[in-house]
Amino acid sequence: MLPTVWRLAAVLSLLALTQTAGAAGRPRYGGTLRVEMRATVAALDPTEPGDAGSRLMPLVFDCLVQIDGQGRPRPALAVSWTHDPDHRRWRFRLRPGVRFHDGSVLTAGPAIAAALTAALPGYTVTAAADALAIECPRPTPGLLLELGRLGYIYSRSAEGVPTGTGPFRLAALERGRRAVFTANQEYWGGRPFLDSIEVSMGRSPREQWIDLEVGKADLVELAPADVRRAADRDRAVWSSAPNILLAIVFYDGRPADTRVREALARSIDRAAIHNVLLQRRGEIAGGLLPQWLSGWEFLFPSAPDLPRARQLAAALPPSGRTASLAYDAGDPLARAIAERISLNARDAGLTVHAVPGNARADARLALLPVASLDPAQALPDLAAALGYKNWPRQDRPEDVCGSERTLLEGGRVVPLFHLPEDYGVSPRVRVWQPPAIGRLGGWRLADVWLDGDRQ
Amino acid sequence: MTFRTRLLLIFTFAVVVAVGLVGSVVWLTTRRAFERVENQRVGTVVDQFRREFARRREEIARRVERIAGAETALDLAIASGGPEPDYSPYVNEAPALAAAHGLDFLELAAADGSIISSAQWPARFGYKAAWLSAAGEHGAFLQREELPEETALALIAVRVVSAGDRKLYVAGGEKLDPGFLKTLALPGGMRVLLYRNLAPRFSASLLTGDAGPLADAARLEALIEQVRTKHREASGTVRWTPDAVGAEVFHAFPLLGREKNLLGVLLVGSSRRELAELQRLLLWTALLTGAAGILLAVALAGWATARVTRPVEDLARAAREVAAGNWHVHVPVHSRDEVGRLGYAFNRMTRQLSQQRDHLVQTERVAAWRELARRLAHELKNPLFPIQITIENVQRARNLPPDQFDEVFRESTETLLAELANLKRIIARFSDFAKMPRPELQPVNLNEVVSGALKVFQAQFATAGVEPKVELAPNLPLAHADPEQIGRALQNLVLNAVDAMPQGGVLTVRTLTGEGSVRIEVSDTGEGLTPEECDRLFTPYYTTKTHGTGLGLAIVQSVISDHGGRISVESAPGKGATFRIDLNPASPAESA
Repeated sequence: MLPTVWRLAAVLSLLALTQTAGAAGRPRYGGTLRVEMRATVAALDPTEPGDAGSRLMPLVFDCLVQIDGQGRPRPALAVSWTHDPDHRRWRFRLRPGVRFHDGSVLTAGPAIAAALTAALPGYTVTAAADALAIECPRPTPGLLLELGRLGYIYSRSAEGVPTGTGPFRLAALERGRRAVFTANQEYWGGRPFLDSIEVSMGRSPREQWIDLEVGKADLVELAPADVRRAADRDRAVWSSAPNILLAIVFYDGRPADTRVREALARSIDRAAIHNVLLQRRGEIAGGLLPQWLSGWEFLFPSAPDLPRARQLAAALPPSGRTASLAYDAGDPLARAIAERISLNARDAGLTVHAVPGNARADARLALLPVASLDPAQALPDLAAALGYKNWPRQDRPEDVCGSERTLLEGGRVVPLFHLPEDYGVSPRVRVWQPPAIGRLGGWRLADVWLDGDRQ
Repeated sequence: MTFRTRLLLIFTFAVVVAVGLVGSVVWLTTRRAFERVENQRVGTVVDQFRREFARRREEIARRVERIAGAETALDLAIASGGPEPDYSPYVNEAPALAAAHGLDFLELAAADGSIISSAQWPARFGYKAAWLSAAGEHGAFLQREELPEETALALIAVRVVSAGDRKLYVAGGEKLDPGFLKTLALPGGMRVLLYRNLAPRFSASLLTGDAGPLADAARLEALIEQVRTKHREASGTVRWTPDAVGAEVFHAFPLLGREKNLLGVLLVGSSRRELAELQRLLLWTALLTGAAGILLAVALAGWATARVTRPVEDLARAAREVAAGNWHVHVPVHSRDEVGRLGYAFNRMTRQLSQQRDHLVQTERVAAWRELARRLAHELKNPLFPIQITIENVQRARNLPPDQFDEVFRESTETLLAELANLKRIIARFSDFAKMPRPELQPVNLNEVVSGALKVFQAQFATAGVEPKVELAPNLPLAHADPEQIGRALQNLVLNAVDAMPQGGVLTVRTLTGEGSVRIEVSDTGEGLTPEECDRLFTPYYTTKTHGTGLGLAIVQSVISDHGGRISVESAPGKGATFRIDLNPASPAESA
């Protein structure tokens, strides 16, 4: 009798667990995802993406291909593609039956060709029937990665407003404050689970954390120090790859003596900052491109060399041993890092003033996003962000590495860390097919759904 | 200076000196009393400040004690053990704890002194604060704290949290800055300044008040240097402005660190403004009261001196009138005191003088009449005697032959006519003296008068062997005179001079500018006069000559006197004589 009872109880328990697991694992439609971010977006236009806009762009606009979590290209608006042996001429066949948010049908017309030409300057894009032909100025094996990053397909209304084919429609945009996206019922990939996404902009890290804690937000940005706290509170954390370079960027010609820059670079104890201020988030950086992207980042030194830094500083005239380092006044972490750098510099005999957001400083603490999964493209993009116009693109890995070394030897930038983009997620947020955050930080919220039983 | 003025000045001086002395004594006494009270107040307040400062130290120590006793500190102490402790979760603990307990400084450090978290310099994690192990758990002490942009002074207390063999240092405190100084409870009129002894020499930029850096801080350099060198309290007065209102008394205390090194100087300033204003009010009250007293005293003195001097002035005025010839003047007598008796005596004197003058006048009048009679008799006798002789000769010649009688008769009639003419002339001279007309005054150029008068005598000078010399001043002012009468008077003097030189001589007539007068001098080189003759020379009917009526110089003196002028003579026997006529100059309006 007793074994029978126990057996029955075990069966009932198993059934209950199965029911619960089924309810939790099966996606549900409906609900509004509340997202908060510090940056502000004035307009959502693929021709003017901006750092913040590039996150929201995938909600509304699709590319010909999309990059999956492992960085591999997958069909999107293009269902297939071919190229010649030297990767110069590409042909993409468009997905049939796709409609823009205004109801018009996606066809390979001149408007689409013009949109791609604008996104890929120097490339020749031609439309023919249900296909697009792209002719590259040079062999471009990484074209798919670039198309997955920049090649948004859109048409413009009579008023000039861009319309996409993405999983969400832009329902409202209050410049710099709030944006509301609603589900695209006719999305070619199937209707998104969420009914809508409400994005609040201009929220400070503290406000975002509080809103997450009190249940007023579902998805917020996290500072490194908050990641550990979120983990301690059993909050899920979504992260991108370490795709943001935190670096000291010297303004052109300041300070005039390059020994100051070198002494400063050699005095910084990156490990202490990484362990304490960054709570071990991200990676210590000696190079511009992250190790996961290039594979050769470890070749660039990042350990402090205080004796050499002191030697360099001692050789300077006393009046030349000073510099100023600006940081984002609204970012407490940036301030802490700048002050730590100042303290390290003092050990070397330099006086570095950490000043909030001062354009007249000698250098600034900058966050430079790595914009491409293709190192050959990512490096010129970083060079452009550092103020080098027309930095030559190299395609062979050894040439890209050499180019990066040349860039570092220019003395304009001191890489510090590669940081991921971290997001705190409320317990009710689920993902059908993770990750919801791309390696470069793009949002993929079409597969996100809300578990109504949890808060 | 009049007697009344002098008396008034003496009175005033006496009153001013008396009031000044009394006022000064009162003011100085009151001032000393106020200063004594003020010093007592400052002393009390300084003691109060010391207690307040000590209270703040204890308060800081209590706050640090509370942090050390909190659960967080214990957790951190427990976590600080192990071979490679991870302090990163605690890096932001110190700022939060410091904010919660109202501290400016807070550092949490491991047993080896490695800073786990720092409120004042969050970037300093991992650095070592070696001094912590030697600090000990006492009350708050003064400590020099390095900050990113400055070196600050702070009151720091250290506590140790033990968890088994693990230790955590909690070092917290408050920054000694303008904000700290503001929180110190001080009575009105007082302030606290802090000098941070961070440089080998005095630097004005290191001195701050509760409102920030102090302007003109160099004035406190001497006091601060005194404390810096001797490490002892000192006090002094600083004048921020030239007047006493800007004075401020400072008490300076050395602020010693844990190792008895001088880290700062605390200056407690007590403004003298209130005292100075009180003293100023007192001074002004004394001055105004004194001034009012002096004015009142001067008024009373004026009234009193007037009462005293008015009879004297009456006497003086009466005396002047007496001097002017009015001997019938009478001064009123209002009192029976010395001044009243003086007035009475003066009145009696004038009365007696008047009576004596009347008597004298009568006597002189009789004498004059006698003299006139004598002179008339003498003058008339001279012609009458020849007339009598002539008439007797005619009577005797009645019997002479006709031709002889005719001769006698002719000579006798000539003699009679001559003597009658002489009688007429004598009578005319007396008549002229009696009928002297009043002068018609006008601006007159005396040089022209002199020249005109001398022309008449040119022939007579030659006959008498007199050499005339004329010395006329070139820029002689015009005289206020009657030219006709002055001319006649001058002729009289010239004639007199010619008579004085019967053997001839030099006659000098000169004009010159006298002292406030226009002068004519007539000098001769004759025999001269004795002093007695000089005294009587202008007496009517007096003459030293064998002929003449003795009226000439009397007429001259009368003429000059009618002009308001003066005539004098200077002579000595054998040295000639000089007559001086001083006339009033014409007024500028008349001259124009």
